[in-house]
Amino acid sequence: MRIHTFAILSVTVLLALSGCANKKNKQYAGVDGDYVSGTPLGERADGANFMGANVQRGLYAPVQFAYDSSAVAPDQESKVSSVAEALKGSGKTVIVAGFTDERGTQEYNRSLGEKRALAVREALISRGLKANNVQTVSFGSEMPVDPASNEAAWAKNRRAEFGIVK
Amino acid sequence: MIRSSRFFLLAITLLGVSLQATDAPTITVRKSDALNVAFTGIGGSDGALASKVVQNDLTLAGWFALVQPGLASFTVSGTFAGGILQGKVVKGAEVVLSKNYSGSPRLAAHQFVDDIVQTLTGHKGIATSTMAFVSNRSGRKEIYLADYDGSNGRQLTHDNALSVSPALTPNGRRIAYTGYQAGYADIYVVDLGTGARVRLVKFPGTNSGARFSPDGNLLACTVSKDGNPELYVVGTGGGARRLTHTRGAESSPAWSPDAAEIIYSCDETGAPQLYRISSSGGRGRLVPTGFGYCTEPSWSPDGQRLAFNVRSGGGFSIAVMDLNGGGARIVAQGENPVWGADSRHVIYSTGGTISLLDVPTGKSVPVISGLGKVTEPTWSR
Repeated sequence: MRIHTFAILSVTVLLALSGCANKKNKQYAGVDGDYVSGTPLGERADGANFMGANVQRGLYAPVQFAYDSSAVAPDQESKVSSVAEALKGSGKTVIVAGFTDERGTQEYNRSLGEKRALAVREALISRGLKANNVQTVSFGSEMPVDPASNEAAWAKNRRAEFGIVK
Repeated sequence: MIRSSRFFLLAITLLGVSLQATDAPTITVRKSDALNVAFTGIGGSDGALASKVVQNDLTLAGWFALVQPGLASFTVSGTFAGGILQGKVVKGAEVVLSKNYSGSPRLAAHQFVDDIVQTLTGHKGIATSTMAFVSNRSGRKEIYLADYDGSNGRQLTHDNALSVSPALTPNGRRIAYTGYQAGYADIYVVDLGTGARVRLVKFPGTNSGARFSPDGNLLACTVSKDGNPELYVVGTGGGARRLTHTRGAESSPAWSPDAAEIIYSCDETGAPQLYRISSSGGRGRLVPTGFGYCTEPSWSPDGQRLAFNVRSGGGFSIAVMDLNGGGARIVAQGENPVWGADSRHVIYSTGGTISLLDVPTGKSVPVISGLGKVTEPTWSR
């Protein structure tokens, strides 16, 4: 019985491997990408660095998030709207930077921060900004607004900030 | 019949352990679990350092109980002179291992002990492994390297930005990490032999969390260019293939030893859970763990077990689970567990230090401390 299972498994592995080999020439960007869950990002603004001198930060209030959530809450929507109103038709590029609180492991927080930035990006696009003019970056739990380890600090640190490329 | 006698043996073992536990607060390896080995030192003009390293490696290996020569099944000895370590292991009159190692006393000693582990247990050793981790000691997060025992520590990156999430190829010759020096999170790959660096994954959005396939030719990583963080497999020579299609955020892929599958974390249903997917694509299947919040899986090189992070109470713990069935159990408090070459040890970060955990005995030893706040450890296999 055990040998039988092993034989079947071996055949399966072989088939899987040969399938892999056949697909090798198709391993290029976009070949099997699809866009069920978000608007694809356009090319990055050349040389723009969210933390650098060529990006103006702090002009707009950051969007805050609930713990472990990347949903833009109703009470945060006006912040997104004011950014969209200010930039609509300007052709300017905005970088949305996502941040998390210190809880959670580093790599999970980088993904969560990116998801927050992307959620704000979708909200900006739905308010009229061009998809190619909204970029994202995630810093995970780095650079907290408040380095304390308490609920008030964590709430401040769960955020998406706006940076306008000069 | 067989089953009931096994149960009986198990019951005795458990009883033995619990009796022992009342005597001593720490878990100790019973002599019968470990091979009795005597180490009589490394002689010769340059033997002192090699001797110290061999002693430490044999202790950390976990497979051995170091005993007096009269009680030992095997005796380890050697001499180091003229840049050559002559290592020897005997079982009574029989020579089990006799080999010369050239190089620094430290490297030669590590190689000798890995050969001892291989010869006496049949398992790959961890003594020659290279460790990589993140430290904020310079004021910015940079990537550092060290031997598995914490010696020979050195700073690899000087990007003065944010350099995180290191991953070594199993042979330890190349390293991938997430660097922010271009303003966004990109994945860089460095050849540790030549120092040559390539900015390999630089799609719009965030590219992070790279992990090398067992042969070192592919990287699994998180890429958000499609408008949502998804898992991709990227060739180190170019080309990218998307694996997942969910509304959740994927992160921290871990390759199976045969490279056929990847286990990763995804928060599609709320708190992050572990999923298992073919490395050629398809649909991720939930890996039931019994815990409500699981991240950072690591697949043991023997394919048998998974180590991962769980959130329990207010803190984070390391859990280990048998992939062939059986529940997950907490083995330590900390984050980012990564299996070593022997499928026995896990390194992890805890309180800004890095510790080496011997999973069967539960014994944990700090290996990196006092080097700023150190996080995100990984090691070669």
